[in-house]
Amino acid sequence: MKDRSKYIFIWPAVLVVLIVTLFPLVYTLNLSFQYVRLIPPLPPRYVGVDNYAKLLDQARFWGVIGNTSTLVFISVGLQYVLGLGIAMALHSKVPGERLFRVTFLLPMLLTPIAVALVWKQIFNSQFGPLNQIFTTFGYPNPPFLTEITWTYSSLITVEIWQWTPFVILMMLAGLQSLPQDIYEAAKLENASNWQIFWTITFPMLLPISVAVIFIRIVEAFKIIDTVFIMTGGGPGIATETLTLFAYQEGLKKFNLGYTSAISFLFLIFIIVFGTLYMALLKPQLEKRN
Amino acid sequence: MQQNKWGRWGVFAFCAIWFVLTLFPLYWTLVTSFKPVLFVTSGPTYLPWIDFTPTLKPWLDAFSGERGDFVATFLNSVWISVSASLIAVILGSMAAYALVRFEFRVRVLSGVLFALAGIGTYVGLTQVKVGEVYAMATAFPVALAVSVIANRFPLPGPVMKNNDVVFWFISNRMMPPIVSAFALYMLYSKIGKEGMKMIDTYWGLTICYTAFSLPLVVWLMRDFFQSLPVEVEEAALVDDVPRFRIFLEIVVPMARPGLIAVTLITLGFVWNEFLFALILTTGDWQTLPILLSGQNSYRGDEWWAIAVAVMIAMLPMVLITIFLGRMMRSGLMLGSIR
Amino acid sequence: MRKLFTGFAAAVSLALVSAGSVYAQCKPQAGMPDYNGVTLTVGSQVGPYIASAMKQGGDSWTKKTCGKVNIVEFPFGELYPKYVTAFAAGEDAFDVITFAPAWTPDLAPFLSDMPAKMRQTEAWMDIHPTYRDRLMMWEGKHKSQTIDGDLHTMHYRIDLFENPAEQAAFKQKYGRDLLVPRTWEEYYEVAEFFHRPEKGIYGTTEAFARGGQQFWFFFTHAASYTNHPDNPGAMFFDPETMDAQVNNPGWVRALEDYKRSLALAPPGALNFSSGDTRQQFAGGKTSMNFDWGDTGTVGTDKSQSQIAGSVGSDLTPGSFEIWNHKTKKWDRFTRVVRSPFMAFNGWQAAVPATSKNTEAAWHYVETTTNVENSGIQVITGGSGVNPYRYSHFDSAVWEKKMSPREAQEYLVAQRDSLGADNVALDMRLPFYFDYTEVLEIELTKALAGQASPQEALDSVAQQWNELTDQFGRDKQLAAYRASMGLK
Repeated sequence: MKDRSKYIFIWPAVLVVLIVTLFPLVYTLNLSFQYVRLIPPLPPRYVGVDNYAKLLDQARFWGVIGNTSTLVFISVGLQYVLGLGIAMALHSKVPGERLFRVTFLLPMLLTPIAVALVWKQIFNSQFGPLNQIFTTFGYPNPPFLTEITWTYSSLITVEIWQWTPFVILMMLAGLQSLPQDIYEAAKLENASNWQIFWTITFPMLLPISVAVIFIRIVEAFKIIDTVFIMTGGGPGIATETLTLFAYQEGLKKFNLGYTSAISFLFLIFIIVFGTLYMALLKPQLEKRN
Repeated sequence: MQQNKWGRWGVFAFCAIWFVLTLFPLYWTLVTSFKPVLFVTSGPTYLPWIDFTPTLKPWLDAFSGERGDFVATFLNSVWISVSASLIAVILGSMAAYALVRFEFRVRVLSGVLFALAGIGTYVGLTQVKVGEVYAMATAFPVALAVSVIANRFPLPGPVMKNNDVVFWFISNRMMPPIVSAFALYMLYSKIGKEGMKMIDTYWGLTICYTAFSLPLVVWLMRDFFQSLPVEVEEAALVDDVPRFRIFLEIVVPMARPGLIAVTLITLGFVWNEFLFALILTTGDWQTLPILLSGQNSYRGDEWWAIAVAVMIAMLPMVLITIFLGRMMRSGLMLGSIR
Repeated sequence: MRKLFTGFAAAVSLALVSAGSVYAQCKPQAGMPDYNGVTLTVGSQVGPYIASAMKQGGDSWTKKTCGKVNIVEFPFGELYPKYVTAFAAGEDAFDVITFAPAWTPDLAPFLSDMPAKMRQTEAWMDIHPTYRDRLMMWEGKHKSQTIDGDLHTMHYRIDLFENPAEQAAFKQKYGRDLLVPRTWEEYYEVAEFFHRPEKGIYGTTEAFARGGQQFWFFFTHAASYTNHPDNPGAMFFDPETMDAQVNNPGWVRALEDYKRSLALAPPGALNFSSGDTRQQFAGGKTSMNFDWGDTGTVGTDKSQSQIAGSVGSDLTPGSFEIWNHKTKKWDRFTRVVRSPFMAFNGWQAAVPATSKNTEAAWHYVETTTNVENSGIQVITGGSGVNPYRYSHFDSAVWEKKMSPREAQEYLVAQRDSLGADNVALDMRLPFYFDYTEVLEIELTKALAGQASPQEALDSVAQQWNELTDQFGRDKQLAAYRASMGLK
């Protein structure tokens, strides 16, 4: 079909996205090669790749990448396993399925700041309900948000609580799109549920699983709100994430060149990760199909 | 799948546990918002009238304006998220439709020309002492024109097709917001100095949110449109019905459930967004997440007040979820994932 | 239908006109300037603390001058970035800003000077000189007005300290009377004595959370060991060379003390901000705490406190020994030297030079902080305003809110701290957040036991010296001397 009007359809969206995202990208890239401090207002000067060199040399930067990755990979992994399990449960028409479906969707639409505030209360080592449970089992006042391992567990719990619904939603849709006749055939051959899962369901869900995990990882790497509220990056800087680190440098110290360099390394990191992920998994997927 | 009785019970128990885990934090917040101060600092209590005597005071406090103006902030959030998601869905579904029904070819080389022309014009203009904003405002259309015209010619090099255009949209969503938030502030402030206030205005925020919602809308809507039958449209085309009428009178009604769902999801994203709202507002157009995060600082954790604030921010999202959940039953989200 | 519409339109326009004329009829009070049509935008942190005081002052100002005040509130952590971005971009976003004195060096270049006539009134002389002549000034100019007095005082439970059974038990254990501690050694003895986790009572509590006012509590400890009466202004840096003092033996002892407090605090204390310590104390969980004046107003308020009526106050403990950075020795004194710490130094209000209403804005600041209005704010729990004028120490008004004894002790603690010979000023320095971030990170490591106090503070000192060199040692030194009132 050839039609002039296609441009009327597509240009408005392209223009808005171009204007609002392109400028910041160029501006930030330019800034990342300068030494800029807003306060006191000194003229910026170009320092080449100094900002990048300094960053890559800084233990804190690598620590921050480590922290973020730990949080992201553990929580996304668990989200996937749980989400797939729950989606299959819902798909098998468990009693109460209608109610469960709506409820399970809820956390992912709630304001992350609000969610973090709620969980901070629940993780309160003194007045919180979780403490009461732990106390009953003879472990009073666990350091939920003050000791490194506990803190990671707490943050991961919140991430799982809020984002497993996304996995459920997607996997459920995936399950519903599977053709029924294969299952009928498998039933005739008296395959066990376990066999059916590993030989039919899981392989057929693989493409969507890859997509879901990818989306979750990319989104999770941006994490700031939850950490910001619950731990502020603490204890110490043990849970400081990439965005939080950039925020501290940029909006506390106004070390803008440096912040831009962090942002850009972040962006490069995401792009490299995305490309690798796709490159590694694509042949796998194609083989299956 | 065949299942024995115990298996079914196990599955049900699993769901029931997750159900409780999902709802408990919300229940806890709801009851906390009715607790008098002394009942918060003396250990956990769960049941109003049995564990503690409920009070309306935290709610009255919130609406007295003492802890920040909840009413105005709530309305700000409503206006901005509704308009940004509506605009994003209108523009985004148009683009998504075009990406499904037409073929686009963008030459990579014309993208390179865009960059070169843009930077060249900008640098040239700033050299002759044109204001930065005007230089940008000129450089952008010049670059655009150059690349659009260049795209007409059979330039060498790879050609991007529809899927690549979609990927370009989505890749904007991959960009960490911290990359653009501060730069956007500087851009807005420069435009502000030329007489058009953008920081802390309705339009400033709405445009920003529209742009950052568009990738998602284009991506989701494209899948919806793909699943629609093309035959009706073809019939209409034979009758020489203009494209725009086809879109409005045939496609939109068919895709209505999808449009509503995507609008609601976008609404949720904008409603919850923190970083841009933080940086681009100075007071008049503050949104709820900002007010919410302020409840947490300096004076310690006043849980009863925080609980009220959290409830206010969450309530609209709960309603949206219920609505979405009902739509989901019709297998609506199916398209969004292929 | 049409008639109806015309009638409606007429009614609306009539209402508008009459509303307009009511507006025009607003007459300023006698002797007050007319600010009809002026609306001031005031930046503040999310209420009620400070914001409600600015609002109270605004209502009073509106009544007097017909000008309007619009308070915009931000989370405390976002206040500084908000001001800095607005100033750097040249935005005319605020007519009045309220801020921490620690930011004065960074913000001063963007602020207008206080009009001279504000400084020729009786109300001016009523402000305590520590604020008036030291904290409201930067580089010889009055840049801001104190709107809240801030310093750390100690609080204790009268009901515990004066319980005969406790007194007897204490005497038997330690061989001396159970008294309000005067030194940190006594403080820890008493704290250990009352520390009974199995009964849900803990020795003391302080703020330990990064971003939760943590380092001000640490500074209060440090002031007692490092604010040498003979070396004024030498607490944080050597005022001759700008070498960081933060790892000298006085500071190390302070950090050891601070860690001791953590061991005697309620569970989860590592995550406490100052607000939490207040609630812990008011909830009857600890025998003592030290904090800004808010513990006093919250603790004595029956609707928020389980120990109302039993809140005793005193100066924070002192020390017999203070480190002398010149001789590199501990100097021993014959009496306890109290070095009350002006933690945070008190909120300030100032008028940015970009404001289009500087005159009206300063007039509003003056009205908000005048004797009458600040007198109301200071006794209102939750206003966040603590005494900074002589007239605030009038005990009659306080007894409306507290028992006579509570009021008495509270005011004495506040007044004597402020007037103490060896009062210690808080740090004010350009690039403040660069310095405090380093400190916060290392402090948290020390508290978590990942580094010894000496190691942690050595690391702070090294990084502080690097920052000083990076920003220009001479410039930083001049600013530091100015902030400590040294010529």
